[in-house]
Amino acid sequence: MKQFITVLKFELANYIKNKTYMVTTILMAVILGALMFLPRVLDLTGLVGESQGSEVVEESISEAQEEEKQADEEENSQTETYMLFDPDGIVNQELLGQYFPNVTWQNAESEEEIRTAVEQQNALAGFCVTAENQFTYYVFNKSMTSGDTGTFSELLGLIKQLKYCEENDLNFEEVSQVFQFADQVQYEEKILGKDMVSNYFYCYAFVILIFMMIIMYGVMIATSVTTEKSNRSIEVLVTSTSSNSLIFGKVIAGAVAGICQVGIILGAILLSYQINRDAWNGFLDSYLNIPVDVLVTFALFGIGGYLFYAFLYGAVGALVSKTEDINKSSSGLQMIIMIVYFVVLVQLMNVDGIVIKVASFLPFSSYSAMFARVAMGNVQMWEIVTSFVILIVSVVVAGLIGAKIYRMGTLRYGNPVKFSHALKSVLRKE
Amino acid sequence: MKLEVKKIKKSFGDTEILHGITFEVESGVALGLLGRNGAGKTTTIRILMDVFKANEGEILLDGIAFDRKEHQIGYLPEERGLYPKKTVQEQLIYLAMLRGMKKKEAAENTKRWLKRLEVDQYLNRKLETLSKGNQQKVQLASTLVCDPEIIILDEPFSGLDPVNSQILKDVVKELIQQGKIVIFSSHQMSYVEEFCDNIAIIDHGEIALKGRLQEIKREYGRHLYILNAENYGLSELKSKCEKELAHYMIVQELKKEFLVLKLKEKVSREDLLAAILHTDIVIDVFGNYKPSLNDIFVARVGNDGTEGGTK
Repeated sequence: MKQFITVLKFELANYIKNKTYMVTTILMAVILGALMFLPRVLDLTGLVGESQGSEVVEESISEAQEEEKQADEEENSQTETYMLFDPDGIVNQELLGQYFPNVTWQNAESEEEIRTAVEQQNALAGFCVTAENQFTYYVFNKSMTSGDTGTFSELLGLIKQLKYCEENDLNFEEVSQVFQFADQVQYEEKILGKDMVSNYFYCYAFVILIFMMIIMYGVMIATSVTTEKSNRSIEVLVTSTSSNSLIFGKVIAGAVAGICQVGIILGAILLSYQINRDAWNGFLDSYLNIPVDVLVTFALFGIGGYLFYAFLYGAVGALVSKTEDINKSSSGLQMIIMIVYFVVLVQLMNVDGIVIKVASFLPFSSYSAMFARVAMGNVQMWEIVTSFVILIVSVVVAGLIGAKIYRMGTLRYGNPVKFSHALKSVLRKE
Repeated sequence: MKLEVKKIKKSFGDTEILHGITFEVESGVALGLLGRNGAGKTTTIRILMDVFKANEGEILLDGIAFDRKEHQIGYLPEERGLYPKKTVQEQLIYLAMLRGMKKKEAAENTKRWLKRLEVDQYLNRKLETLSKGNQQKVQLASTLVCDPEIIILDEPFSGLDPVNSQILKDVVKELIQQGKIVIFSSHQMSYVEEFCDNIAIIDHGEIALKGRLQEIKREYGRHLYILNAENYGLSELKSKCEKELAHYMIVQELKKEFLVLKLKEKVSREDLLAAILHTDIVIDVFGNYKPSLNDIFVARVGNDGTEGGTK
């Protein structure tokens, strides 16, 4: 234990004395923390919306409204050319102008004329109306935000409604009021479980964060082990103390350094956001207003998963003699981490599905899958406890296997030993 | 103290590397552990250091099973390596603490050993900024910083100039005089002869020769004599001896300054001398041959032309 502490202190001191580590940590924490104070010094109402209860903000609201008005006017002045081929005269030109206010319409003589004009980019888009409920839309490059087809469908729907009312002698105003009654309904939402919509964003961010931590610090730990092999200090070390003290000290120091760095940066962001939350008008709540229970789950499962992979990375580092071989040797491990990452991200939309449920119990994936379930899904306490116990046991097993592989690999030089071969060799000896 | 290595066997996979190594070392009497590259020296040392477990055999210290964790061992590996980016002081204190020393004691020992090895001015310098010879001395300091009872030195003189070699020689002699158990592995036989009273030669994972160096030398030189003549060159003398004295001896070796002759069975020193005097050879030098350790080593393990086993 004493030697483990000695190794831990020495390795931690290496991180603390590392200028890149310290500068990155302090700079990131200061910059990102300072960013949270931006609404206090800059007017961001255009971005974050109206704030409440502040005279200063009220003043800026009127300025913002003025700017918005100006922007609308500017936007209105920029019109686009669209073409319309409506041989049966279905479309009401007045309504068309209301539905597409910034469009200059040109009537086409044929569908082919629309196609040619759009192809040659003389018109941005074109509609060919073939029946009351049917049209063809032509566009050269369709933008991500284009709503032309939806707007045009609505227009045809309105035309049909007007025609129906006229044919059946009904008052369109009255009928539309009845059918649009939903707009007048007022409601109050009381979420008794979890709000998946608002939790989704920080959950997404945390899955990415833990993925980055594992990959980044895992490689740092492996590099630290391999460096001792490549500079040959490993022989002095393994003959001075037990390999368990060395690998556990190294990995846990790497883990502590990583957690401290991310914790300090994240802490600075969260704290300064909480201080400035009113100024932000809750704009970043979906990312940064995280419930404590979710943070605790993230911390526990994140640290567990991180340690699990850190030990395996430590073992990988011992299997190669040159730092440039680390990526090649850790590719299998990285593949598993990537698969877990993509599966969990994809399954965030189906957080109570069977895939993420299974993943939340596997030590390879529970660090992010169980966290996602706790943040967004329905999960029982026994499931959390069981998954956490499995993860902790797996961390211990990974630590012991990692230490054995480390011991086996430390004095082996030459070609990298495959992780699978090392694992088989270690298990065979067991 | 007496360290006994008894019938150690070690296999890697299906290949047996050590086939029952046995030797002993006593306090104040250095042992030269010799062998060709790959003979099994490093594996034997690593078993002593508890890096590898022996498949069979035992290691005893004063008759009791040897537990490395209970004793301070200073090991200078052949493959040198410390932390190039760390200061000399930082890494020596760290290594001493890894071996169970308190920080204060480790710091004091660090200063003491660096001073003794005449590199104390580099205490706060990064290792990579030192010359190779000074790095070598820092490496030796890291071996001795924990005041070990048992010291294993693998090629300690490689990379040292004559001045630094002399400092190191003095240190090793002091350690031996202090009653430490010293195991000395080197291919530089002159150093082994200088320090070691006992030797053990490992060949292909077995002890090929062991014992007191003086006795071994005497035994190897028992029927060997040197001869040089005033009236013949060495090549001519060799031909003459092979022609005229073939009943008494064979020419074992042609050295730079004399021939080494080996007596045939039942021939005495006096018989050979009388036979020489009956020829026209005018004797310049005649006497007992004292073989060097190098001669013994080459004679014992250098004949099959193969290097040893696997590391």
